[in-house]
Amino acid sequence: MKILVLCTDAYGGHGGIALYTRDLIEALAAEGDVVAIPRVVRHELEPIPPNVTFVAEAARNMRAYMRAVGRAVRERFDLVVCAHVNLLPVARMFRCKTVLWIYGIEAWKPTRRGAALVRGVQGVASISDITCERFLNWSCFAGPTFLVPNAIHPERYGMRPRNEALVQRWSLAGKRVLLTLGRIVAAERYKGFDEVIEVLPSLPDDVVYLAAGGGSDLPRLQAKARDLRVAERVVFTGPVDEREKADLYNLADVYVMPSRGEGFGFVFLEALACGVSVIGSRHDGGREALRNGELGLLVDPSNPAEIRTAILDVLAQPRREVPAGLAHFTFDNFQPRVHSLLGELIDEI
Amino acid sequence: MCGIAALFAYRDAAPAVERAELDAIAERMRPRGPDAGGVWLSGDGRVGLAARRLAIIDLSPEGDQPMHDVNGELHIVFNGEIYNHAELRARLQRFGVQFRSTSDTEVLLELYRHDGARMIELLRGMFAFAIWDARARRMFVGRDPYGIKPLYVADDGATFRAASTVKALLAGGRVSRAVDPAGAAGFFLTGSVPEPFTIFDAVKPVEPGSSFFVDERGPSPPRRFYSVAATFARALDQETIADLVAPSALLRELVVESLQYHLVADVPVGAFLSAGIDSTTLVALTHEAKHAAPRCVTLQFDVARGTEADEAPLAERFARDIGAPHTTRLVTRDEVVADLPRFFDAMDQPTIDGTNTWFVSKAAAEAGLKVAISGVGGDELFGSYPSFRDVPRMVRMNAVPPVGAVAAKLMRNPKAKHFTLGRTWAGAYLLKRGLFMPDDLPQLLGRDVADEGLKRLDLLCRIDANLAPDPGTAFGRVATLEAAMYMRNQLLRDTDWASMAHSLEVRTPLVDAALTRQLAPLLLANGAKCKRYFAESPRPPLPEWLRTRPKRGFGVPLAQWMELAADGTSTRMRSWSRVVWERFF
Repeated sequence: MKILVLCTDAYGGHGGIALYTRDLIEALAAEGDVVAIPRVVRHELEPIPPNVTFVAEAARNMRAYMRAVGRAVRERFDLVVCAHVNLLPVARMFRCKTVLWIYGIEAWKPTRRGAALVRGVQGVASISDITCERFLNWSCFAGPTFLVPNAIHPERYGMRPRNEALVQRWSLAGKRVLLTLGRIVAAERYKGFDEVIEVLPSLPDDVVYLAAGGGSDLPRLQAKARDLRVAERVVFTGPVDEREKADLYNLADVYVMPSRGEGFGFVFLEALACGVSVIGSRHDGGREALRNGELGLLVDPSNPAEIRTAILDVLAQPRREVPAGLAHFTFDNFQPRVHSLLGELIDEI
Repeated sequence: MCGIAALFAYRDAAPAVERAELDAIAERMRPRGPDAGGVWLSGDGRVGLAARRLAIIDLSPEGDQPMHDVNGELHIVFNGEIYNHAELRARLQRFGVQFRSTSDTEVLLELYRHDGARMIELLRGMFAFAIWDARARRMFVGRDPYGIKPLYVADDGATFRAASTVKALLAGGRVSRAVDPAGAAGFFLTGSVPEPFTIFDAVKPVEPGSSFFVDERGPSPPRRFYSVAATFARALDQETIADLVAPSALLRELVVESLQYHLVADVPVGAFLSAGIDSTTLVALTHEAKHAAPRCVTLQFDVARGTEADEAPLAERFARDIGAPHTTRLVTRDEVVADLPRFFDAMDQPTIDGTNTWFVSKAAAEAGLKVAISGVGGDELFGSYPSFRDVPRMVRMNAVPPVGAVAAKLMRNPKAKHFTLGRTWAGAYLLKRGLFMPDDLPQLLGRDVADEGLKRLDLLCRIDANLAPDPGTAFGRVATLEAAMYMRNQLLRDTDWASMAHSLEVRTPLVDAALTRQLAPLLLANGAKCKRYFAESPRPPLPEWLRTRPKRGFGVPLAQWMELAADGTSTRMRSWSRVVWERFF
């Protein structure tokens, strides 16, 4: 079997979607040969698995991308995995069985020509039920849909003592730490940084907030913290080095992200894999990442009282353990899930 | 859903609470709670609680009230429903709390023990309650965010009294029946008595979305935990959130969630069904949420049969299409006239509305229902009243003084000469919603009462006070005023007494603080278009013949039946208000 993956980013990319796509490519590669054409490569490439041709040069510019696509069109594929709604016009060029993979907000609203292009797709795989529901609402796609949630590699995380260098860097000694990790940009205000800063004044003085991540919206959040007189209790870390992520999670007493725009919320799995208690949202994919509350507390992100109470509850019953339920999301379960669902899809197709 | 009463003789000089007074108060509320009743007096006779119970969650005697904790330290009377009681119970159980019942009342009791006064911020539901905390010798009193459930208090400086209805407080025999001129003026100006007044001087409503303590010094100032204005103001900088999801998809998710909470009951939950978008969409979404359509009840008026005003055939067609068991209840003029004595006896405060809820509740009770959901609040939430268009227009026109003055002269409506009132949001709202104008009152109430009433009422300032903090947009301002004035003082109040008179609990999934908070960014971004999105939210969307039908009110043709004079308004409600005023007392 030969599979083409059209994706935004995978190897050489940071963030949840790049990570997911790498896992997906790896899982597909166990089935046959995979050619992956990315739109973006920002960082040094991770090791590429056998059976995978990763056309990194396609990410150089649009001409290079179209050249790579043009070369691929001349090949014969059994299946095209289209990993972004906006790449559907490219997928269509292959006149081949196509599976659309959807992750979150990119599929929550109608896109230009989206509904028409989706009609040419034979199956849709979604990272979460909420993303699938919201996609179906506008696309009216009537074909088969499949749920393929994120995968976690617990061995890359784990519980460990606080990294003293980080404790000193951010003056966290003797403090109880709330953590959110994400891009801090205006287009992603749905992450819930605002909501946590807003409840901080009503939390005990020894509770500090580690707002981890870089972005152009930082000055606004910093001003908000000053206005609420909690500036000295909010640490804006700036961009986080991937190699420091596990240490970062291990600084936290609570990972709290009352978001409204997460397709799934892979960061929840990362925090859980470090044994950190987690608070997520009832109104986006976080609910599914926390398995409807089995792995962490769920709150209504629009309700400050619920957020505050959940934080206080977790702080009142401190607990460090990797929950057994996290196994549901391990790569060992992801791989067979991808293959069995893909098998069904191919039969369906 | 119940009728409750709480008495606290907080000053040493006050006489002890009398059982007879509690009994009389509770007896006046019997229709609110026909299933059980109870009275509790503290050992020292300083505190008394009473309740009539309509059993809906945990039908066993374990849910009877007044309810007490195992230590005899906390005692509660509670009217309403806590829709998220199961989540709150699970949370308390994580802290080791053990429960004796499955009732939401017990959850309130234990939540108060665990979280103190801030517990009220965690409740999703409609509620009014009083908790006697014997440890601290103080009473904790609270009411839901929108004031769906009523609670009135009378404080004579020595004894604090609270009850679910004004008339029940009076029935105890210790509260003055002197009419409040401000309440009287408010009734004729707006068609209902605006809070913070009642029609009786000695009785005051508990402010919706607030709580307070009563200790040996008397009631403390209320602490507000919810305001519609603040909800919209907070949503102003959340446009990016409103833009994440297709509006109809978001509405579907959030309203279905609200419905799932509002359908929590140990008895069947039915639905009021008209041919309007709110009730039909709610029934369609209920069908999806529960995989079964609720039993629906529709009113049909004999004088409207066969005319365009008759909604029954459309409601029947809709119910048939989705497979809902359905009852059309015919109401005749003779029945209306025969019901009026009971209607006025049940009316808790003068109001020009309530007849529609009276008859549809009667029909629902006859159909064997104890609980029904209603689309009330949909017009306030989705901006579908004419006020959402007219109030901003009046404010804009008055911004150019000559335009306002000319408009005042040209318009035929009796309110037109006051058109320049519309230069403020409060004034424009009063013009749009007002029944009589201030200069009509001396003729109705006499000059002295009218003058005193208008002065104390200070209606424009009170309307304006609802707009702090500024909801930021025209839609937000009108939505706030509609929720804080018309919906609170008339729709919700009338829904309560008119349904409870038939021992029916009405639930309002579209009047829900959590829903408003979640939808506020979407509402501000899309305004009145949200009604269309709402109609599109079920799968499949509402049929075209329902969606495109012109909006009609859901009213009883009272004026026609009572042969009331037009009196300057097309609805003849001014004439009806005079009838109400005479018959109420």
